[in-house]
Amino acid sequence: MMYRRISVILLLMFAFATGAIADPAKESVEADASTRQVAITSSYTGTEILVFGTVENSVQPSAEAGTYDVVVVVEGTAVPAVVRRKSEVGGLWVNTSFVRFASLPSYYAIASTRPIDEFADHAVLDANEIGFEHVRMVPAGSRHTEAMEPAEIAKFKEALIRLKQRERLYIQSDFGVAFIGRSLFRATIELPPNVPVGPLVARVYLFKDGRLLGQYKSRVMLERQGLERYIHDTAIGRPLLYGIATVLLAAAAGLTAAFAFRRIA
Amino acid sequence: MNLYLPIAEMSVSVAMYLALGAAVGFISGIFGVGGGILLTPLLTFLGVPTAVAVATGNAHVVASSVSGAVAQYRRNNIDVKMGLIMLTGGLVGTFIGVDAVRLLRKAGLFEVTISLSYVTFLGVVGTLMMVESLNTWHQSQKSGTPRSARKSGQHSWVDKLPLKMRFHRSKLYISVLPPIIIGMFIGFMSAIMGIGGGFVMIPAMIYLLRVPTGVVVGTSLFQIVFVAAFATILHAVQNKTVDVVLAAILMAGGVIGAQFGTIAGERLKNEQMRILLAALVLIIAGRMGYDLVTAPADLFSLSTAVRGG
Repeated sequence: MMYRRISVILLLMFAFATGAIADPAKESVEADASTRQVAITSSYTGTEILVFGTVENSVQPSAEAGTYDVVVVVEGTAVPAVVRRKSEVGGLWVNTSFVRFASLPSYYAIASTRPIDEFADHAVLDANEIGFEHVRMVPAGSRHTEAMEPAEIAKFKEALIRLKQRERLYIQSDFGVAFIGRSLFRATIELPPNVPVGPLVARVYLFKDGRLLGQYKSRVMLERQGLERYIHDTAIGRPLLYGIATVLLAAAAGLTAAFAFRRIA
Repeated sequence: MNLYLPIAEMSVSVAMYLALGAAVGFISGIFGVGGGILLTPLLTFLGVPTAVAVATGNAHVVASSVSGAVAQYRRNNIDVKMGLIMLTGGLVGTFIGVDAVRLLRKAGLFEVTISLSYVTFLGVVGTLMMVESLNTWHQSQKSGTPRSARKSGQHSWVDKLPLKMRFHRSKLYISVLPPIIIGMFIGFMSAIMGIGGGFVMIPAMIYLLRVPTGVVVGTSLFQIVFVAAFATILHAVQNKTVDVVLAAILMAGGVIGAQFGTIAGERLKNEQMRILLAALVLIIAGRMGYDLVTAPADLFSLSTAVRGG
């Protein structure tokens, strides 16, 4: 009787042990954005998109366990930028030096389960461009920039990130990703009113014990629609017509007011 | 209510920008200036990209000065001939100015060049106007009769220039060169600052050309209409920075404000008007000068290459 009970326990333990070995299903991540298309119309005042996903083969016992770390990055199109620095020249504050960056994300929002430095090392973050400091921002070659110390250039990069954050175009949310249950997670990403219009890329990374287990990529279109689109396309595609139309509108507004007031006066 | 601006790429409160347009329009109606010199810095302050603020400011100037010019025309306050002569110079100056904007922006020297030249210019003009109009005002207080700024029979270097022409409305017989050069300078300023240039043109017409004060405002507005229209079109084509939605909101407020301003302006005496204008010019010059010499809150600034920038 006693032996039998022990053997049952042993058998169960064995089953558990072999189960873990026999089922080595690797965890991976699948994700998507709540909307694939954000329309910019004349009533656009900024919006939010929800990025959600699931950890396949999650071994996480509960939502609060913190077995996994998830990072969500939503990025705008790459644009060049110039950062200038003022200094005092004969009592006046003048732009004296600059660094031109060939390409950097026009918009960059990052959300994670906890601060990224706590669970991932720099090599991984650099390789995947996760976090403001790890985004590739290469100074465009110019005589002015080449003569600069790397430490100087770093200061410009720092300023760039700070200025972008002030414009709310670079957004960081250290605890912005939340697990709902063992495998489902979600993050809300803010699209500010001044977000540069263009396609967005949403990237999701799954970490466990500092190792990158998987990633997922999805696209979100950010497009002008309706009247906004018509006006913008005219301004870019037929600028002369657009300019003349604006002037005529202005002249009409001025004349209308002038004649309306003569009636009243 | 909020509206999304297609070129500035931002969402703005319609009520606030209407009020801004109306306030600026009121001032332009009083003084016969386009109001761009107030509008452009205010727009920038509210977060509109500088290049868009300048170009759209030009469009707003068209509306408010058309409105003002019509009001002045009805009162027969425009010297059309003088206006047209100045305009020929104005168009050339605008053309040069729009190109200068492109080059200065590229070099990152746009703001400082403009601020510096403005502080100097407005400072000098404002001080001269203030001194002279205060003197005139004191004398008119004493004698009880307002005295014109124009001193007949006075000769200056302006009178020695060739190509003289008669301007009936202004009661002048002067060379066409000074009006053309003044017009050219105004056109240049207009393009780079998004202003009509009335602040500079009115004093120049009064003190250099000796155009009677009554005709100055109308004539100035008349030529500003065309210079600003030309600048708007050039900015739209070259820099693609004119925001028609923003312009429409500002205009709607501006044209109404300008009408009230014109009425208010009529109640003011010449000297009083000039003292106020001088004060306004000096305040702006002081403000710009202050920004130039004080350490900025952030030494760094960012410009993402916008279209054409």
